[in-house]
Amino acid sequence: MKPRHASDEHRLSRLVNIGLPYLWLGLFFLLPFVIVLRISLAEPQLAQPPYTALWEWVEQGILQIRLNLGNFQLIREDDIYLAALLNSLWVALMGTLGCLLLGYPMAYAIATAPERRRIPLLMLIILPFWTSFLIRVYAWIGLLNANGLLNNFLLQLGVIDTPLKILHTQTAVYIGVIYSYLPFMILPLYANLTRLDPTLLEAAADLGCRPFRAFTRVTLPLSMPGIVAGSMLVFIPVVGEFVIPDLLGSPGSLMIGKLMWTEFFANKDWPLASALAIVLLAVLVVPFVLMQRLQQNDEDGRT
Amino acid sequence: MKRRSWPLLSVLAFGYAFLYVPILLLILYSFNESRLVTVWSGFSFKWYGELLHNRQLLDAAWLSVRIAAVNATIALVLGTLAANALVRHGRFRGRTGLELLLTAPLVMPDVIIGLSMLLLFVALQQTIGWPDGRGFSTITIAHITFSLAYVAVVVRSRLARMDASLEEAAMDLGARPLTVYRRITLPLIAPALLSGWLLAFTLSLDDLVIASFVSGPGSTTLPMVIYSSVRMGVSPQINALATLVVAVVALAVVIAGFSLRRR
Amino acid sequence: MPSPSDRRPLESWQDPKAAPYVRIDRVTKQFGDVYAVDDVSLNIFQGEFFSLLGSSGCGKSTLLRLLAGLEYPTSGRIYIDGVDVTDVPPYSRPVNMMFQSYALFPHMTVEQNIEFGLKQDRLPRRERAERVGEMLDLLRITELRKRRPDQLSGGQRQRVALARSLAKHPKLLLLDEPLGALDKRLRENTQFELVNLQERLGITFVTVTHDQEEAMTMSSRIAVMDAGQIMQVDTPTAIYEFPNSRFVAEFIGSVNLFEGKIVAIQGDDVLIEAQFGGLMRMRSLQPHPIGTPAVVAIRPEKLRLCQTPSDDGVNRLQGVVEDIAYLGDVSIYRIRTGGGTLVEMTLTNIQPRTEQALTWEQEVWVEWSPTSGVVLTD
Repeated sequence: MKPRHASDEHRLSRLVNIGLPYLWLGLFFLLPFVIVLRISLAEPQLAQPPYTALWEWVEQGILQIRLNLGNFQLIREDDIYLAALLNSLWVALMGTLGCLLLGYPMAYAIATAPERRRIPLLMLIILPFWTSFLIRVYAWIGLLNANGLLNNFLLQLGVIDTPLKILHTQTAVYIGVIYSYLPFMILPLYANLTRLDPTLLEAAADLGCRPFRAFTRVTLPLSMPGIVAGSMLVFIPVVGEFVIPDLLGSPGSLMIGKLMWTEFFANKDWPLASALAIVLLAVLVVPFVLMQRLQQNDEDGRT
Repeated sequence: MKRRSWPLLSVLAFGYAFLYVPILLLILYSFNESRLVTVWSGFSFKWYGELLHNRQLLDAAWLSVRIAAVNATIALVLGTLAANALVRHGRFRGRTGLELLLTAPLVMPDVIIGLSMLLLFVALQQTIGWPDGRGFSTITIAHITFSLAYVAVVVRSRLARMDASLEEAAMDLGARPLTVYRRITLPLIAPALLSGWLLAFTLSLDDLVIASFVSGPGSTTLPMVIYSSVRMGVSPQINALATLVVAVVALAVVIAGFSLRRR
Repeated sequence: MPSPSDRRPLESWQDPKAAPYVRIDRVTKQFGDVYAVDDVSLNIFQGEFFSLLGSSGCGKSTLLRLLAGLEYPTSGRIYIDGVDVTDVPPYSRPVNMMFQSYALFPHMTVEQNIEFGLKQDRLPRRERAERVGEMLDLLRITELRKRRPDQLSGGQRQRVALARSLAKHPKLLLLDEPLGALDKRLRENTQFELVNLQERLGITFVTVTHDQEEAMTMSSRIAVMDAGQIMQVDTPTAIYEFPNSRFVAEFIGSVNLFEGKIVAIQGDDVLIEAQFGGLMRMRSLQPHPIGTPAVVAIRPEKLRLCQTPSDDGVNRLQGVVEDIAYLGDVSIYRIRTGGGTLVEMTLTNIQPRTEQALTWEQEVWVEWSPTSGVVLTD
């Protein structure tokens, strides 16, 4: 619509609809990152707030700027940070794969279920998501404990004779991640698979394609956008996950989110925590842009 | 053609078992007499009783509910505005920027949001003297910031699916844009508004990490209390609490399902 | 273009003194690089049943939406009843529209839907109730008044949509594919009802349709559109009998086109040397320079089929029957002529089928008279 025709009401509605969310997100989401970047270049000090100022007027007309790159240097030099970052990426990757392996068949089964059963089945996927995340992670502590329910069960069956150590291992973290993030994988996959025209498969069958081949040649390629969207929704937040490694993981293997938490709360080193946040952000930019681009294409393709 | 394959159905069954068995066991052991989660020593409501006398936990729960309600309401307004902008205002300048700002909070790790919000509040306090101390308002603001993105997703998809000619028809019949929005658009997207509100409410009620960063002394939310007690080990009181949460959610879903079916 | 077959009294669009009710003045609407409506000028008069006819994407719906105010033109002006409404928003225009999807508000009853527009005008409650009752009566849907749109059949919805758009007593009603969502039988009945309603209320109707039969049955005049432009505006008869271009001739009904070159003019007739190798003599009142390439357009039912040729040798083609399609009331014959072209013709089945003389592979002559078609030189 041409602006010359826009009525006052239309202009006001534009201003409110676009302006207010922009203002809020700009102030409370974008601006904070600038501040994080600023503080990542400061030094810690024992004061309130616990970091040095980047600039100060030392005398009339002289502005002194101190940029401390030491935090980033430390992150580069001390192996613990690199190890934590790599471990985070690995856990995120394994968690994503796990969600995909379990989530894809589930999404496929729901999408191909009779129409009236789809919504209830989908509701059952979403339902746990409405209960507390923390409590759901907590549930696994009781299950995976050395004298927990799973071990008791297996011991009684006679499958094992000494309790398995699962809690506080990497395996427990994988389980926790898959358990908590499964809905995020299934929902976009389901949305994608239901949009798939079923006559395509009938056409493939009619042309002599066996079901499995039809799946790999038709369904799988067409559901790629759903796969990528779901994977990004799992991968990105898991890289920075704190609760799951903290409650289920081993104290020895660190993830970057937990490290940030420790630097911030235990060591009170705000600048170092900020620098870690900047590094984490830089790592996550690539998958994020990929996800955003894909979403855009998907929308353009739909209109 | 429509034969269902057994491998697929068994994966589906396994998936649902995986999602629900931990929760069901959690509920079961909330009625366990013993403090040990592994041993069943008889049915009892005693953990519920203890829960009701846990002052700290009740205070935290009340604070969390208030934060969640205020958060959900403001996030609903802002998220709906953002959805309007994206669906109804075409290709305005800065559209890509808004889309980015609305997607990022969905995937941004909590630790980053929490840290950056805290640093913002500290910087604001230094420069303009507000917020004076941290607590209810800082937690609420932080929660709104990521909740509104979720609300926008829900409302946006409903708005986009709505037949645009309904609004055009109303305008053609003489309704001005604001009337059209109030009389036609809002009633038709009401279910999405409800689920957006509930989603924002739940997200807020559930958040541990961000609240931990931006809360101050004296403002401890429910997840913070749960977290500190969980770190001490398994506690049947938490099981009891989890059971109550599940019961409330299930009830809400059943009610919502019924009221939707009746329409 | 004045059509010779029109012997009725002067219609409003032929009266040079009549002021158009709707005047579209050089209107263009661009969406990005696409010209949905391309420099269209059009006058529509009070009391007309005017149809915009064209295939999908020809710009007819955009033109209708421009009249409703749901789109604003890139350039050009629109006048309704003498007033420039180009920049007037839809809610302030004296125009109502019936949407293709009907756009009934799903959260309101039939009654509330009809009342909606009246409420916007702040009519007092009693008057609103009266007007709603009047509309329910007019469209015979009183017993549906408490129902919601999802409890109505397609035909009922169409009536409710019509009632809603008429409730405000607009002087101009826009109808976007008004019968498009109805099944064939219902559509035919509703066509006549719409025309009756329009005549009774005296409202100017502008409809959009892709169905030529529908346009022919209902309209006082038709504008045939293609690629954002208006190709011809005329009465249904004139459009069918005297298309002004190859496009219109081919778009409306079936037509046989014989290409050739004008070689002589004899009084009111032109002589055309046909590509199939004979001479064609056609009535044409327009001046044509000798040597102009021309196409003779003749409708299938205006051809004669002969088993022996008549003698003057003009307007005649020899061929064999290649295909016969029996449709009950008529049969369509396809004749393969010497030059290889297929000629299509329609014959009324006066005799029962078994007694028809013609059969496949039979040798026949196709003939026509000079007044049975038009000469197109575009």
